[in-house]
Amino acid sequence: MRILRLWRHPGSWTIFRLDDRLLLILIAVIVGTCSGLAAIALNRSLIAMFEWLHNFRHYWWSFIIPAVGAALSALFLDKIVKEGAGHGVPEVVYSVSRYGGLMRFRSSFSRLISSCLTIGSGGSAGPEAPVVMSGAAIGSNIAKFFFLNDRQRITIVGCGAAGAISSIFNAPIAGMVFSIEVILGEWKSVNIVPIAIASVAGTEISRILQGNQIAFSHRLFNIHHLDIVACIGLAIVSAAASLLLTRFLRSMHGVSKKAPFPIWMRAAAGGCMVGIIGIFLPIVLGEGYHSIRTMIEGAFAQGLGIVAVAAFAKILATSLTLGWGGSGGIFAPCLVIGSLAGLTYHRGLVLLWPSVPWVNEGCFALLGMAGLISGMLQAPLTGIFLIIEITGSYEVILPLIIVSVISTTLCHYIEPASFYLKELIEKGQLLRPGTDARVLSDLNVRELLEKDCISVKQNVLLRDFVNIIKKSHRNYFPVEDENTGNFLGMIHLDDIRSYLFNPLMYDAVVLGQIMDTDVEVVYLDDDLSKVLRRMDANRLFSMPVIANKKFIGMISKATLLDKYRKELMVQTGF
Amino acid sequence: MDAQLFHIFRNTPLGRETLLQSIYFCKKIGASLIIYIPEFTKFLMYFENDVVQIDLDSSYLTSPETALKHAKELLDQGKIKARFLDPKNFTASTLPDIATNFDFMCCPRSISDLSSKIGLGYIGPRVRRIVNSARFPVLITSPVFKKWRSIAVFFGGSANAINALKLGFRLSRASEMPLSVYTHMENVSRESYEEIIKNENLEEEMDRYVTEWHIFESGKFEENIYDVPHDALVVMGAYGHSLIRNIFFGGKMEKIQSTITNNLLIAGPNYTLTR
Repeated sequence: MRILRLWRHPGSWTIFRLDDRLLLILIAVIVGTCSGLAAIALNRSLIAMFEWLHNFRHYWWSFIIPAVGAALSALFLDKIVKEGAGHGVPEVVYSVSRYGGLMRFRSSFSRLISSCLTIGSGGSAGPEAPVVMSGAAIGSNIAKFFFLNDRQRITIVGCGAAGAISSIFNAPIAGMVFSIEVILGEWKSVNIVPIAIASVAGTEISRILQGNQIAFSHRLFNIHHLDIVACIGLAIVSAAASLLLTRFLRSMHGVSKKAPFPIWMRAAAGGCMVGIIGIFLPIVLGEGYHSIRTMIEGAFAQGLGIVAVAAFAKILATSLTLGWGGSGGIFAPCLVIGSLAGLTYHRGLVLLWPSVPWVNEGCFALLGMAGLISGMLQAPLTGIFLIIEITGSYEVILPLIIVSVISTTLCHYIEPASFYLKELIEKGQLLRPGTDARVLSDLNVRELLEKDCISVKQNVLLRDFVNIIKKSHRNYFPVEDENTGNFLGMIHLDDIRSYLFNPLMYDAVVLGQIMDTDVEVVYLDDDLSKVLRRMDANRLFSMPVIANKKFIGMISKATLLDKYRKELMVQTGF
Repeated sequence: MDAQLFHIFRNTPLGRETLLQSIYFCKKIGASLIIYIPEFTKFLMYFENDVVQIDLDSSYLTSPETALKHAKELLDQGKIKARFLDPKNFTASTLPDIATNFDFMCCPRSISDLSSKIGLGYIGPRVRRIVNSARFPVLITSPVFKKWRSIAVFFGGSANAINALKLGFRLSRASEMPLSVYTHMENVSRESYEEIIKNENLEEEMDRYVTEWHIFESGKFEENIYDVPHDALVVMGAYGHSLIRNIFFGGKMEKIQSTITNNLLIAGPNYTLTR
């Protein structure tokens, strides 16, 4: 029977508990492989769907294909798996921030299917964020199976995200850096080792099943000093495009929310508009990787005006797809918009200074991608490593760094939070490791309660109160209503010192007359960071805790800080 | 007792019965009532090692404009104050997170399957997952409001059963209601159960709170549980045995909940005595 009981919790088997680091590495391999497979499954499904729907693209009614795809995607998310729309990365960051990386099992497949419907039908979105969510959810559920603690589970969620990105782009370093820079926000060796292993596993799975291919290979670029100087302008253009995309996505989301239709109708409306744009500019449809290849090879035939319009159209199409309820991510659209922005900028330079021997326009397309990714994610390292790995061009490293860093800085200056994190920061839900808010979020008022206070009734005479003081270790006393037991106020010894040293008052004063009724109180579900701020603002060292109008204990700054220190030690692994 | 009971309000006649049950429970044990009137048909509960998405059936959103009024009327009738929960955190814009730091939670037998919500012998999968993951016991109410006048603890000797017994002591102490213990002997002697009580240092509390210990040495379990008074609050542990045993032979909880209509208070495997 003991064997049967153990079977229920295989995570507690001794073999898995010999060494926690080895266990994490073993799980990282499993998670990296699974998330890599999920990424490949989505990639293959998208290719199959593109090929199948390609036969219908020449019909006049083809503009409704993205509408049908988006509507089905929204219906699937809303009615079948009962999840909200969106790209999913903020949800992963939120779960890591607040709940130790706990994610639902359904998230490991829901976004794969919904984004396949949206993107495969021509919606302007990318498959990367859905695979990140899927990989993270796979990691979270495997961590749950092995009964890992919060810190370990967060690392494994990072492994899932890293494995997914590594697999879909065949880019292990980008996967690793993205996971640490964007998802976890914490560079620690305990995270880095398993995440690196998961990246390798994800990449290897991709190479075994799809071959070791560089996604956007190109010829060698010969970069001059003038090109590097020109990169500053490109960074500004990329930052502007990033900000435009961010604002458009948000405004579309706001507009669609006000529309009095069900979510699937809104998604269909967005998809329909994308389909109409796609009739005139097919580059806006789908993930757009084919167009990126053409641009990086320097073979994009359209002129400056069309390229600039296409960049704007892609921003609009992405906002319509994602803002109106379609499912997918912003990675791929960023790459397309970035390459179009880079191409526009290059052609503008050539138009203005035709005699200057500028590098091939493919190089600027590539740098534009890095600028957009870095600007949107405000994660320069992810932008740099991703572009190096997916283009295999180390020779562009210097302009790449310049564009990424300047674009990130400019975007950060105008929009202090990245697209993924903005909403979380606005709601106060981004709690990065090691911050006060994160430590305090793991504590609650109930566990800090001090219950050794003596409560007194409001009609107790001062003479009797003096006797009570002798028995108490505290210098404050909550006053309760004699009939209802409700909390009425507090008596602090410092405030009534004049009465205590005047025996004439002993039989003349009752506590109800000298208690402080204007007391700052705490409720059981109050946020501790706010409680601490109130203590600081009012120079208080302790406050009464009230539940159902009754006094249940005190909360003191000393206990709070003591618990804070202990929790910090737990969270930081000391 | 500064315990809190979490209740999800459903603005329907069935929901009224459930709220009456929660009000009665809180009054009896002196707990505070926390009521959540849902605005969306789904919410998340994050437990220590699991996250459960509760997909409420659409009846939970019935007439939202009168929900608060109806709930307050019932509270006034019951002469009890309650706090209405307003979710602070959202995993997605239509997916609020509900805290799990309560001491009790009240659930109907199913919260996400309209067709079987009043059926005896059926506990919905979401309610099962809450029981399995929660640190608090779950009050599964009878379909119609029914006052309970005594407490009946099912004690089979497992770790979960010991927790249930301690929970019974706690309720008996708070409500001052008589407590009876029911044990269906399974291939072990009466002395073995007494030994377990002794090893857990519960002898003194057994003497103080338990009015009668019914030990069934023969007969089928399903038949023996007819001895439980219809107006007793049944307290028991759940999911204390292995998954395989539960699959092949069924758990005691299944047999009890499918046989009697009493209010059930179920302590899952993660239940920890807080106070």
